[in-house]
Amino acid sequence: MRLDSPTGLRLASAQTLALTRRSVVSEWRQLGNVLPGLVFPLLLAAVYTHQFERVILLPGFPAVDSFLDFVLPASLLQSVSFGATEAGTELARDIENGFFDRLRASPCARLPLLMGRLGGAMAVAAAKGVLIVMVFLMFGAEIAGGPAATVVVVAAAVLIVLAIGGLGQVLAILTGNQEAVNATFPLVFTSIFMSSAFFPTTLMSGWFRQVAEANPVTWIIDPVRRLILEGWSWSDVGQALGVPLVLSVITVTMAVVALDRRLGAT
Amino acid sequence: MTARTLGLGHAGSVVSAICGRGMRRIGARPTLIMPVLLMPLIFVISFTGAFGSLTRVEGYGTDNVFNWMAVYAALQGAVFAGVGGASATADDLENGFFDRLLLTPGSRVPILVGTVAYSALRSMIPTTGVLFVSALGGLSLAGGPLALLTVYVATCGMAAVFCLVGLTVVYRFRTMRSMILVQVFGFSSMFLSTGQVPIHFLNGWLHAVARVNPITNVLRFARQGFLGDITWSLTWPGLVALGGMGLVSGALSLRQLKRLAA
Amino acid sequence: MSGSDKLTSTGANIVIEASGLVRKFGEIVAVDGIDLSVARGEVFGFLGPNGAGKSTTVRMLTTLLRPTGGSARIDGLDVVEFAPAVRRIIGVALQDASIDPLMTGNELMRLQAVLHGIPRSEAKRRCPELLARVGLTGAADRRVATYSGGMRRRLDLAISLVHEPSILFLDEPSAGLDPTSRLALWEEVRRLNRELGTTVFLTTQYLEEADELAARIAIIDHGCLVREGSPEDLKATVGSPTLRVDIDPVFFEATRQVLTGFGPQRPAMEGRVAVGLEGGAARVTEVVRALDDAGISVSHLELDAPSLDDVFAEATGRRLEGAEE
Repeated sequence: MRLDSPTGLRLASAQTLALTRRSVVSEWRQLGNVLPGLVFPLLLAAVYTHQFERVILLPGFPAVDSFLDFVLPASLLQSVSFGATEAGTELARDIENGFFDRLRASPCARLPLLMGRLGGAMAVAAAKGVLIVMVFLMFGAEIAGGPAATVVVVAAAVLIVLAIGGLGQVLAILTGNQEAVNATFPLVFTSIFMSSAFFPTTLMSGWFRQVAEANPVTWIIDPVRRLILEGWSWSDVGQALGVPLVLSVITVTMAVVALDRRLGAT
Repeated sequence: MTARTLGLGHAGSVVSAICGRGMRRIGARPTLIMPVLLMPLIFVISFTGAFGSLTRVEGYGTDNVFNWMAVYAALQGAVFAGVGGASATADDLENGFFDRLLLTPGSRVPILVGTVAYSALRSMIPTTGVLFVSALGGLSLAGGPLALLTVYVATCGMAAVFCLVGLTVVYRFRTMRSMILVQVFGFSSMFLSTGQVPIHFLNGWLHAVARVNPITNVLRFARQGFLGDITWSLTWPGLVALGGMGLVSGALSLRQLKRLAA
Repeated sequence: MSGSDKLTSTGANIVIEASGLVRKFGEIVAVDGIDLSVARGEVFGFLGPNGAGKSTTVRMLTTLLRPTGGSARIDGLDVVEFAPAVRRIIGVALQDASIDPLMTGNELMRLQAVLHGIPRSEAKRRCPELLARVGLTGAADRRVATYSGGMRRRLDLAISLVHEPSILFLDEPSAGLDPTSRLALWEEVRRLNRELGTTVFLTTQYLEEADELAARIAIIDHGCLVREGSPEDLKATVGSPTLRVDIDPVFFEATRQVLTGFGPQRPAMEGRVAVGLEGGAARVTEVVRALDDAGISVSHLELDAPSLDDVFAEATGRRLEGAEE
């Protein structure tokens, strides 16, 4: 797409906004799809808080009053990861039902189509993130970094959704198959478990520890957790937002390139 | 055509035909079993890896975390597999094949029993997978080979129970979507028990819930052979819990099956 | 064939009987008090547009759905009280060829045989025989997913015949079939009826199909029976043949006025006026002259003997979808 005139840019923004709204509305109309992403992480957090009370006393475990504080980033991440691939599956559906062939035949803007879907997923993620944090605060969790850190924590979660959504779109464009995109969910789900999300890597051992330490999820979880447990620090803010931002830039660029190739192909 | 009475022998062959059909479907498309197999494998690897240091907490009761987590992952997998068996019925209902089954003369109960038998039988695949991975991780058979038998009895039982729960919902709502609710229910029931840590680690409401959750007894029954000797005092409460859950879910599903024609 | 013919409340030899049959789904009344009777050995056509209540009626008659009012008997047996016994004597091929795509034709046939308690030895003989009859011997060991629409229909028919039912229900048997497959299916239905004396209850939205196969038909619309009888009798009730005139829309009113003089108006597609031409073909020249005098230019004119479509139109005030094609 060419965005060389101001009217083109305005049109593209309007299209992006309209498509974003469409995604949010369709999520809202299928509220049942959002519920597992709220209920499951909250249940997990509640259970872990009550079963790991003795465990937080282990030497090497960060100093916390309750496992609840420790598990907040994990629950947040887990919650937004449900439905994070939606931006990809919706795109795959468009490709499956032939909408894309129509697009190829038209001079219509292409980037808004990707960004609209991603924007919808991010808006939903932000809402879920705020809700999760509110529930945690209600049950006595403390965020040492204060309100500013809270905003950073939710923003990090939203950026992660952008990164995962971009990946989903790459797969959607490459395969044109909803099931293939859905297959990334177990991958995301597993990579959360195989990270520092539910337990500090310092208490792990063997190959599992190596995997967890090399896992980008750990790189995001750790600074976010420090913001919650220890307090505000610019370097943690930088890492918490920077890592998912870099990942997003990579995946969204890949999606744009893949889309250009697909639409350019005859 | 003579009015042949369809007796027990007929019921038996219907049960095995329905069960065989399910297994044959897996043969026709092996990817059907993949989610059911992978989920508990991911669980056993993730939980042993992430929570391996639990063995260092006083009172955990074993020095290898696999001895504790293997049974939990296997049972969680069995619940998942059981609900999956009911989902096959949801699929049949949505595409109309179930009408064919309902046109069977005689009792429809063998159709239900066949589906449950298929779910239980199929759950042995993920259970075996979990036991294999756990063996690599150093699972100890403190209670002898009988320890394996208790795991298979418990997982088959749990798969059957949650298949019945799933069928109750499927017969009522007739949709695949409703199965998500049952999966959430199954996962939650497993979590609200002693899956990952002993009961004296739990506190507050979770302790209270786990104490009355029948799954706690099933876990205890299935796990005893990996922690020590197999004893009757840990065996019978597990079997009673399985039987009780089976009776309740069985009665509920039969009631919905009867109403299916209305 | 089934045993002795049972006497029913309405007389001998009635094998499908419904009285005041009602089915409501919440507030919606899908079937609104239907009375039916089908004699042994008859091919009965149940005709109506989409959503008229055909499938709901069939599901009640085949014990898959409980009526909310009235009653139905199959071979004298109440469909609610004696459902298992009813299921033993009926064969059913439902609307969307309800078969599991992951199984082979042979496996499905065997499964059906087990469900009906047919001894293994007998099933071994019967299944290949039926598959051969519907022309699926070569495809018997292939998975149903690889079958074409026509093959699925034929397999569905073979499956419903495994237990040699004396009464066969076919719900929209030829929906979605190409013309050749449709003819083959019709031939098979006729053969079953002729050679084995099977009673056939057939629902369709194709007038041609009902006309072709059924000795007697009933027309259902909005859950109520609006006509019943043999195709010939029903056509005779319409009486005069239908004259259809295609005109430019600007002449529509004028044409209607001219044609009112020749007989009662009948429902027609847009851009077309239709009347029941009293006096028949002899008056066509008269019509042409009258239109010419009125200065109306006609693009097409045709005269049809009464069809089931006319019966349907006369009964409901609407044409059946696709009937004009």
